[in-house]
Amino acid sequence: MTDELDPLRRLRADDLLPTDPPDAELLAAARRRLLAGIAGTPSDDPVPLPSVYTRLAYRDERAALEFLERAFGFRELRESRMEHPDGMLAWLQLGNGAIMIGRSGTQHHGLTSPIDAGATTAMVMVYVDDIDAHHRQAVAEGATIVSEPEDMFWGDRRYEAFDSEGHRWHFAQRLRPESTTAHS
Amino acid sequence: MEPSDADVIAASLAEPAAFGAIFDRHASTILRYFGRRVEPAAAEGLLGEVFRIAFEQRASFDPSRASARPWLYGIAANLVGRHRRSERRRLHAMARLAARQPTDQNDVVGEQAAGSLDAAEAWSRLAGTVDALPAVEREALLLFAWENLSYDDIADALGVPVGTVRSRLNRARRRLREHDSSKRTQTSRTDLTEADTDDR
Repeated sequence: MTDELDPLRRLRADDLLPTDPPDAELLAAARRRLLAGIAGTPSDDPVPLPSVYTRLAYRDERAALEFLERAFGFRELRESRMEHPDGMLAWLQLGNGAIMIGRSGTQHHGLTSPIDAGATTAMVMVYVDDIDAHHRQAVAEGATIVSEPEDMFWGDRRYEAFDSEGHRWHFAQRLRPESTTAHS
Repeated sequence: MEPSDADVIAASLAEPAAFGAIFDRHASTILRYFGRRVEPAAAEGLLGEVFRIAFEQRASFDPSRASARPWLYGIAANLVGRHRRSERRRLHAMARLAARQPTDQNDVVGEQAAGSLDAAEAWSRLAGTVDALPAVEREALLLFAWENLSYDDIADALGVPVGTVRSRLNRARRRLREHDSSKRTQTSRTDLTEADTDDR
């Protein structure tokens, strides 16, 4: 369709600036302020996004979101979700860590689902409080277990799994939390 | 099935915190709207204002509307109307960015805009034309072209009949066409005789 609105559509900010505004934290903060205002109470302490987090690509990012919540215990920052006709962006937290998920494809920063790549492209390391309970949950929800839970010599108990599209996940529990602090 | 926005808003009359779901469903859309219309620094504050106003006015939400989105757009549009300078700066900033896009994308603005100077000028003129539109026409036009709202939703958002939306859009489009054909002369507003009878 070519008409007098075409040039105007090209003035739309989204088409001129990066498509993924980093506003997950902004939305979370606005939501807290709104609810605090509604309740007339100070807002809860937020869990800020970590300084470093990864973005994973999926062919079906909605199914992945659901899977990561059900199987691996992630919690979505629901207020941050971005719906686009050509794919959704979502931020998920677990403990003090976070990931971002989006759709696979060259137009999405060139990030690729393992299904499209034909190879595993990332492994995400996650610490949880109860590794065996976490493992049971992952199995129950259909995660592909790569290695069963085992105690490691450095003091972790861990297992590895694939998610719905083959990204690799390494889950661990610190069996000796005191060993992570300096000898005293 | 998820409750409709109308259900959530009705529930929030007795249980105010339920209103958080309205934020969850629409905040990123409204934030992106502000990102298109005003400078980034203003967007965050305006986002908070929209939902604060919406919360305070939730009793007046028309429960026959399933979605709260047009209503929220309407509140947001009102706020943008109070930030004319920020809106103007945003438009011209976008025009500068557009001029730096690959040349073939600029062809529709100038006729085969040859050099980047021509392109810059053409985009700047377009921004000027949009900026010079009567506020009610600009709002209807940009809700249509940038937000992809239907005529019905625009009417809902702006609180006017669909026929008014149609006539505002027609007038705005005509001015854009005049801009397109006149090229070098700024669109004059004095040659437009039709009055908008139901300006807010």
